[in-house]
Amino acid sequence: MQMKNTRSLAILTSVALLISLALGTGIGAAQAVRNPDTLIIAHSGDVDSLDPAWQYDTLSSGITLWNVYETLIFFRGGSVGEYVPMLATQVPSLQNGLISRDARTFTFPINPQARFSDGTPVTAEDVRYSLLRMMLIDRSGGPSWILLQPITGEDSTRDERGNLKPDIYDKAARAIQVRGNSVVITLARPYAPFLNIMASWSQVISRRAAVARGDWNGERATLAQFNNPRRNSDTKLFEGAVASGPYVIERWDRAARTVILRRNDRYWRGRPAPIQRIVYRTVEEFGTRRLMLQQGDADLITVARPEQSQVEGLPGVRIVDDLSQFVTQALFMNLDVKGAGNPYLGSGRLDGNGIPPDFFNDVRVRRAIAQSIDYGATRRDCWRGKIAPGNGPVPRGMFGYNERGQWYAFDRERAIAAWREVAGGRVWETGFRFTVLYNTGNAARRCASEIFKRTLESLNPRFRVDVVSLAWSTYLAQESEGRLPIYFLGWAADYADPDNFVYPFMHSKGTFTGAQSYNNPEVDRLIEEAQRTADPARRRQIYFRLQEIAFNDVPTVYLGYPTGFIVMRSWVRGWYHNPMFFGLGYLHALRKTE
Amino acid sequence: MTQFIVRRLMLLPVVALGTTLLIFALTQLLSPAMRASLFVQDPNQMRDLEAIIQKYGLDQPFHVQYWEWLKNLARGDLGYSFVARQTVAEAIRSYFPMTLELSLLSFAVILVVGVWLGTLSAVHKDRFVDHLSRFVSIVGTGLPTFVWGLLLLLVFYGLRPWFPPGRLSLQAYLFVTSDGFHAYTGLMTVDALLNGQLWIFWDALRHLVLPVLTLSYFIAAVLVRVTRSSMLETLRQDYVRTARAKGVAEPVVIRRHARRNALIPVITLGSLIMVGLLTGSVITETIYDLPGIGRWGAQAANQLDIPGAAGFALFAALLTVLGNLAADVLYAFVDPRIRY
Repeated sequence: MQMKNTRSLAILTSVALLISLALGTGIGAAQAVRNPDTLIIAHSGDVDSLDPAWQYDTLSSGITLWNVYETLIFFRGGSVGEYVPMLATQVPSLQNGLISRDARTFTFPINPQARFSDGTPVTAEDVRYSLLRMMLIDRSGGPSWILLQPITGEDSTRDERGNLKPDIYDKAARAIQVRGNSVVITLARPYAPFLNIMASWSQVISRRAAVARGDWNGERATLAQFNNPRRNSDTKLFEGAVASGPYVIERWDRAARTVILRRNDRYWRGRPAPIQRIVYRTVEEFGTRRLMLQQGDADLITVARPEQSQVEGLPGVRIVDDLSQFVTQALFMNLDVKGAGNPYLGSGRLDGNGIPPDFFNDVRVRRAIAQSIDYGATRRDCWRGKIAPGNGPVPRGMFGYNERGQWYAFDRERAIAAWREVAGGRVWETGFRFTVLYNTGNAARRCASEIFKRTLESLNPRFRVDVVSLAWSTYLAQESEGRLPIYFLGWAADYADPDNFVYPFMHSKGTFTGAQSYNNPEVDRLIEEAQRTADPARRRQIYFRLQEIAFNDVPTVYLGYPTGFIVMRSWVRGWYHNPMFFGLGYLHALRKTE
Repeated sequence: MTQFIVRRLMLLPVVALGTTLLIFALTQLLSPAMRASLFVQDPNQMRDLEAIIQKYGLDQPFHVQYWEWLKNLARGDLGYSFVARQTVAEAIRSYFPMTLELSLLSFAVILVVGVWLGTLSAVHKDRFVDHLSRFVSIVGTGLPTFVWGLLLLLVFYGLRPWFPPGRLSLQAYLFVTSDGFHAYTGLMTVDALLNGQLWIFWDALRHLVLPVLTLSYFIAAVLVRVTRSSMLETLRQDYVRTARAKGVAEPVVIRRHARRNALIPVITLGSLIMVGLLTGSVITETIYDLPGIGRWGAQAANQLDIPGAAGFALFAALLTVLGNLAADVLYAFVDPRIRY
C-alpha cells in the first residue's frame, strides 16, 4: 500500500510537471485564423430540443433564438428596456398608437419584406400561428406559460386533472388576431413586461413548412393531439423549424452531440452573415475544451467561474469579464419543513441536537441567520468577487432594483445579540443542529455553505451546522417538496422584468415561496398590482416596497447578483453582450479576422 | 458442443431480465418527484412537477411500471432515453459503432502486445527484457486512465497538435454528413474505405490513435502480467521439458507446446476485456470527446435516465453472456481435451 502511494505520487508529480511545461510553452502564440468561415463553439451542456415551443434551457434557446428564429421586436444593442423592430416594422408604443390607451392591445405591423429561408414571405398569419403554437403546445415544465399568462390570463392549457381546457383555444385565438398585415394582441389585463417578453419569446416560424412536416395546423380540432407532447422528439419540429433568421439549422447530430447552423444566403435583411457555418459541439471534459481553444479548434468555449484561472493568459485568447446578467443567488429558509423524520432537522426538536420543522417560522431566527453570514468572505472566496452585493430578489441593473435598499451586514457582536434575543434566549442556551444544502458540483455554493457553517459555529459552540450536497435532480425535487430546511439556489431571468423575480421569490404561489411556505398577503397584493400597472413610477414604488418587506421578513437571504464572462479566441470579432441573450446571443455580425 | 451453446443462449433472457429487474427495483428507492425532476433542468421549470409525474406515470406502483416496460420490450420497444434524446434502440444503434471500432482496434493492440510481451518476458525471465516489460506493465496497472489519457492528449495535442480529440476533423465531418457519403457500417474507418475516401480513413485513424493508446496501455499491462505468469507456469511443466529433451527447437517449444496451453487464462481474460471494451470506456470516450456507448450508459445511470440505464444494462448483459460463451468455445478450440 505504502509503495503504491509513493508510486501514484511520483506519477502525479510528473504529470503536474508536464502540465506546467505544456502551459508554459504557449504553443500557438501567432496562429493564423483556423477555419475562417466556421465558428466552433465547444460547450458542456446538452441540447434539449430545437422546437421553439419546447426549448426552455439556455443552450437550446441560445442556439436558435434570433439566429434562426426571429422575434417581432429585438433589444437595442445591450439595452434591455429599449427595442428595435425585427419582423415588425415598428415597436408598439402609446405615442405611435400601436398600444391602446388601456395598455391591453398591442399592434405589430409585419414587415412585408420579411422572408423565410425558403423564400416565402413572413405573413401576419405565420406570426399568429407561431404565437398560438408557442402557447398551446404547452408541454409540462415548458415555457408556454410565459406567453399564456399575459395573453389569456391562464397559467396552463390544462386543468388540474391534466385535461385540455375546452375554451383555451378560443381564448387564445380571440386574443391574437390578424388585421391586414398586422397582428393585434389583446392581453387579459394590462401587463407591463409584455414588450420585453415579445423581444425574446415571439419566435416566428413558417406555418406552411411546419404543417408540411406533420406539425399542428393551427386548428382547434387538432390541438389535443399536439398539446403536452410526451417526449421532446415527439414534436415534429424537434430538429428545428423553417424561420427567417440569418442562419438555418443544417443538422443536429445527436450521436455526435453537434448542432450545425448554415448561413441563410437569402437573408431578407440584405447582407448575409459573414460566417458561413456555426458548429455547436458538446465537449464535456473541461481539459479537452481548453486544449481545443488553445489549438484554435474551438473559437469559443464555456468555462465555469472556478476554472477561469486556467484560461487566463493563454496566447490568442480573449476573456470578456464582468458581463451583467440577471441572476440572483440566495440562501432560502423553509418556514415549515416537510417530511416525517426529516434527517436534515437532526433530532427534530430544539434540544441542541436538532431544530423543529417550524424553526425558521420565527422571523427573529431568520434575521439572526441573515446577520450571521459573512457576506464579504462569501462573495470574495466563492464567486472570485464577481458578484454584486444583494439586497432583494430584483437583480442589480434591472428596472425595479433599489440602489439604496437596506440589507444586513456581518458583525459578530450584533449577530450574537440577535441570537440571544431569539425565543427568550432559549436557542442561545440550548444551541441547535441542522443541515445546510447545496447541489453537487456547484463549487460556489459549496464554498458558501462551508463559510456559512464556519461563521455560524464560531458564534456559539452549541451551534452546529452540517453541510450536505445532493445531485441536481434530487436537490430540485426535495426543494419543491419542501424537505430542505435551509439551502442555496439561484434564478435566471426568463424576461427582463422584476415581476419574473418577485413572483418566484416572494408571491405565495411562487416557485420558491410555495416550497418555503412563505405567505404574506400584502406581498401578493403588491405583486399583482405591479403586474397590472403600466405607470413605471408606481411600479418602481411597489418594487421598492417589496424590497423593504424582503428585508424585514427575510425568508430568503440575498447573497448577490453574479456577473458572467466569456472566453473566445481574439480573432472572433463583432461580439456584443446583452444581459437577456441566452447563451452567446445574436451571432449575425460575428466574423473571424486577425 | 452445439447443445452447450444452445443451452447457454437460452440462459440469456433470464440474465437480461434479472439485470433490468434489479435496475428497476433500485429506481424505486427514489420518490416520484425525484424521478420527475430529472425531466427539468432548472428551477424555472419546477412549477409543473405534479403534471410531469402524471405524464410519465411515475406515481404508478413498481410492478405496473416494470410490466409496462416489459410489454414494450416484447414489442421491441426499449423506451426513450432522455439523455440521448432518442429511443434506446436508436441510441444503441448510433453509439455502438464508435465503441465497436475503438474496441476492435484496441483489442488487437492489447492482444498482440500483451501476449507477445508476456511471452517474451517469461522466456527471458529476470533478464533486461523481463524487467523492462514488468516495469512498463506495473506503471500501466497503477496509472489511472484519466491521468494517462489527459497526459497523452496534453502532449500529442496540446504540445504538438498531431492527434486531435473528437471522431473526425471538421472538414471530414462535414463531408461524412453530406449526401455524397454513405454510412454502411457506422465504423468510420471501414465506411471511409467502402466509400473510397482514403483521406477520411486517415483522418478517422488519426483521431483513434490516442484513445486506442489510452485504452490499450493499461489493459495490455494486465494481460502482459497474466501471460507472463501463465507462461512461466507452463514452461515448468513436464511435457515442455520432454519436448526440449527430444531436441525440439526452442521457438517451436514455445509457440506450439507452451504458449498454446498458457493461453487458457489469457482467453478468459480476453473475453472479459472485449466485453469491458464494448460496454464502455467511459473515461476514454469522455476525454477524447468520442460519441461511444460507454459515455451514454454512464450518463444515463448518472442522470437516472431509467429506460436508458435499463436498456444499456440489458445490452451489456447480452454482450457479457455472449463474451463468456465465446471464451468457452475458444477453450475447446485451444485445448482439445476440453469437452462440453
